[in-house]
Amino acid sequence: MRTRGGILLANIVTGLALGFTVTSIGFGDYAELNRMFTFQDPRMLLSFAGAIVIIVCVFALLRVRRTPGRIHAGVIPGAVLFGTGWAISGGCPAIPIIQVSSGYLPALVTIVGIVVGVRLCRWARGRHLRIDSGSCEL
Amino acid sequence: MSTYWPWWAGAVGLAALTVGYTLATDRSFGVSGAWDRVLHWRRERELERTEEEFADEHALTAALVKAGADHFATLAAEPAPPHQSHVEPSSGPPDEPSAAEDPAVTRQRPAPLVTQAALLISIFLGGLIASLASGRFHLRLDMGPGFRNLVTANPVGMVVLLFAGGVLVGFGARLAGGCSSGHGLNGCGRLDPVSIVATATFFGAAVAVSFLLWKVI
Repeated sequence: MRTRGGILLANIVTGLALGFTVTSIGFGDYAELNRMFTFQDPRMLLSFAGAIVIIVCVFALLRVRRTPGRIHAGVIPGAVLFGTGWAISGGCPAIPIIQVSSGYLPALVTIVGIVVGVRLCRWARGRHLRIDSGSCEL
Repeated sequence: MSTYWPWWAGAVGLAALTVGYTLATDRSFGVSGAWDRVLHWRRERELERTEEEFADEHALTAALVKAGADHFATLAAEPAPPHQSHVEPSSGPPDEPSAAEDPAVTRQRPAPLVTQAALLISIFLGGLIASLASGRFHLRLDMGPGFRNLVTANPVGMVVLLFAGGVLVGFGARLAGGCSSGHGLNGCGRLDPVSIVATATFFGAAVAVSFLLWKVI
């Protein structure tokens, strides 16, 4: 599965599963998302946290190799901007895609915003922000 | 009563796809990274081509070195038995597998560009299947009652805020080096400190802004 075709197949299967799962959990529903972030309903928070706990346990059992990244200067400001944008628009980079596929047409505007933001970040990093993120590029 | 999955089903689903991807490819996936590479596809393709050329050069160099070593070993090792004529284990650099064979090198190379585009398209298809199967698919020109009540009911205001939010998400995720899938699921799953810091920070920021929207604004 580590050939080009294998990675392509893994990405297709993972993308389908990710889109199906986050839609079924309710991440595309702005009201559900706000209830998660304001702790009115812990269901989605438990889904996310529970997934991390399971992954940690499985990776530890299987001794999956760790590739620790460096906490560079962009991590905290970037995460603050990302969290703010997520709470306002209801979309992390995958969510607006499934919002559109659920029929929320205005989420196309969020996608346009993400496109602008991603391009802006690479432009700014190349010209103004001297941030070396090392291997931390997920 | 929510019609969405219970929390444990969501947890199992997200964990299964993350673990499955890691075991299948020995890589992590990240949606913001996929966006970044797809949106800069010209440059990424150039990098891929350059990498392929370098990979070929490595293979060529390795073949030349091996041929040279065999030739000189045959000349220089006349008194020695033939099976000792090659490089001794204790001398010189350790045996190095080619780039294609070395799992560490394979891991360091980014996933091919086309696979990143496939990831984004598949997310759309997966979401479409889920919304159609559950009967929740409904074309609409708003973001639902939650957004209308908590953020704005004004269509122009909605467009402006969705765009601004999207810019913050795109810029912030790339500046932080990952998003909820890359840092959140893959990075935290590996107990990577940078991912734990990033995830705690973006969740904290989202909680603060959501409380502001809910209680203040």
